[in-house]
Amino acid sequence: MLAIEGLHKAYGDIKALDGCSFSVQPGRMLGFLGPNGAGKTTTMRAVFGLLTPDAGSVSWQGKAIGPDGRLRFGYMPETRGLYPKMKAADQLTYLGTLHGLSSSEARESAGKWLERLGLKDRSADQVEKLSHGNQQRVQLAAALVHDPELLVLDEPFSGLDPLGVETMAEVLRERAARGAAVLFSSHQLDLVEDLCEDVAIIHRGKIVKSGSVIEIKDSSPVRHLEIELTNPDARLLEKIDGVIRAERDGARHKLLIRSDVDVRGVLGDALASGSIRRFVYTSPSLSEIFLDTVA
Amino acid sequence: MKTISGIGGMRLVAMRELRERGRSKSFIISCVVTLLLVAAALVLPQLLGGEAAIHSIGVVGEDNEPIIQAAQDLATAEEGDDSERYETTSFASLEEAEQALVAGEVDLVLVDGTTVLQERTGFSGNGLVDTIQRAAGSVRLQRLVEENGQAAADVIAILSSSPLEVMSLDGEDPEGDIRPVIAYAGLLLMYIAILSYGSWTLTGVTEEKNNRVVEVLLATLRPWQLLGGKVLGIGLLGIGQFVLTIGFAFILVNMTEAVDIPRLPIDGLLFLILWFILGFSVYSVSYAAAGSLASRPEDAQSAAFPMTMLAVAGFFVSINALDDPTSMLARVTSFVPFTAPFVVPIRQSLDGIGAVEHVATVIVAIFSIVLLVRLSARIYAGGLLRFGRRVKLKEAWRSAEP
Repeated sequence: MLAIEGLHKAYGDIKALDGCSFSVQPGRMLGFLGPNGAGKTTTMRAVFGLLTPDAGSVSWQGKAIGPDGRLRFGYMPETRGLYPKMKAADQLTYLGTLHGLSSSEARESAGKWLERLGLKDRSADQVEKLSHGNQQRVQLAAALVHDPELLVLDEPFSGLDPLGVETMAEVLRERAARGAAVLFSSHQLDLVEDLCEDVAIIHRGKIVKSGSVIEIKDSSPVRHLEIELTNPDARLLEKIDGVIRAERDGARHKLLIRSDVDVRGVLGDALASGSIRRFVYTSPSLSEIFLDTVA
Repeated sequence: MKTISGIGGMRLVAMRELRERGRSKSFIISCVVTLLLVAAALVLPQLLGGEAAIHSIGVVGEDNEPIIQAAQDLATAEEGDDSERYETTSFASLEEAEQALVAGEVDLVLVDGTTVLQERTGFSGNGLVDTIQRAAGSVRLQRLVEENGQAAADVIAILSSSPLEVMSLDGEDPEGDIRPVIAYAGLLLMYIAILSYGSWTLTGVTEEKNNRVVEVLLATLRPWQLLGGKVLGIGLLGIGQFVLTIGFAFILVNMTEAVDIPRLPIDGLLFLILWFILGFSVYSVSYAAAGSLASRPEDAQSAAFPMTMLAVAGFFVSINALDDPTSMLARVTSFVPFTAPFVVPIRQSLDGIGAVEHVATVIVAIFSIVLLVRLSARIYAGGLLRFGRRVKLKEAWRSAEP
């Protein structure tokens, strides 16, 4: 488990981190959300010792992370960076050896990942000769070449086309299924909701919400209720307590209700009215929760 | 669990520098150009100067032959070989001789053993006229001596060679000692090598920062490993090119006998290599720190400006040390890590430094390098992850982890 506890980091008067705490479990994927400048990159850099926090700790499997521990981590920084003049396969091999692989293991793994990401026939090309999307794939392979136990990716989906997004998502899912702990930041909240078991939302250097996606959604004080009635005069809706907001679009009613409303009663009444065509009861989306949290 | 030692990480970085730079076009081109320059410097004078210089003298009238013969003898005695030859062309009249002079068929015209005719009065003296003058002088002297019964050959021998034998305390023939020349050549090579390989380190560091690969690297490597590996890798490549150049020059010299080397000062060569390593370390480590402050290549040069100025100062001080290897300036700058690599080898090659002082300068240099590595590693660590504008030295120092 990656445990981040009480991180503080200030740059002059600016508090980049102000008591940031959350954890990432092996075999699970955590989406790290937050507005720009909330402290996501600072937190990730702290995991890799790229900066030393003013206070707090980062540990892996209960131990403080040292240089040897980091060899088993994979990192994809927000600002992508590779040697432009180095061949893709050579570059991955080099990065593999920096993580403690022998050069033959590293070369084999580099070849495997290039093939997996559809770059087999470009492996002898200099990175600068590859398209932007393919450079992103090499960057992902660079984070994976040593089969890390913890993957930390800063905005891995930004700038990818839908095909690239799908490949990236597939690879991350597979890594988590194989037992790796995966932490990535993103602004694509629907994607995070779809992909991640866990989320942590950071705002002004503090974690304002964290836990499993399902729990967070369930713990929301509101629900969406969408009802479509064939009989527009039905008085059904007036009977519902706890409506926060109501919109009407023809026969379709969109309600925002309190989570403690007895929705079974509403459904019973609706069925009894005999005019129901549609009844959808959902938790708010991650996106809404995020906006509510950081607004 | 996989681990990697501190030195192991540094070695990997150094190997990458060796591999990638060693086979890069720019390195191969710089090797080839250097070798071509060395070849040109050694072989061209040989090709140009290989044939005997022929002086074509026009003669009109009587009494010219003894002077031409004396000039030939003088040239042969001075050059030690027959690389200068005098050829004469006789003209029936002065007019014909003048025409040949204007047409460039002859270099000058000697008339009746009394007058020299040249095409125009040169701004600088005419060496050929001087030789003819001296030859004429010796011919007159010879006649004078003959009239007084002295052996002409003895007098000519006295006049045409150095009458005093020159000896020096170390028993060496000073004329055969080319150590100042080698020292100067070594200094020049050292200056060029340190600055050019140092600037590889500078631009290499800035490039890694500019293309942001540094963040990926520092996620596994500690800054000192990256700094050390880079300096080591580029340094080995530099020494390789340095040794290749010197070795090539040596082979070329032996094959063509282009330069007369009476005594190759092997100790001087070894000290030159030692000080190249020390000097390269000083500059490369400092350049790396400067490079870490800049995010763009344009900023790198200005960040490195103070170091470059120190190298230029070291170069001028060492030129001064060529004249006076024991001056106060030379002594003091021998203990300054940025100037010592230029000054000490010069003083050593001219016997201007004692063994104790030399050992002391090496110790001071090594100690300074250790200190510089620590200082630079901290600046480097603080500068590397601050992108965008140029990082201030103080800022990098403070933000780095002590």
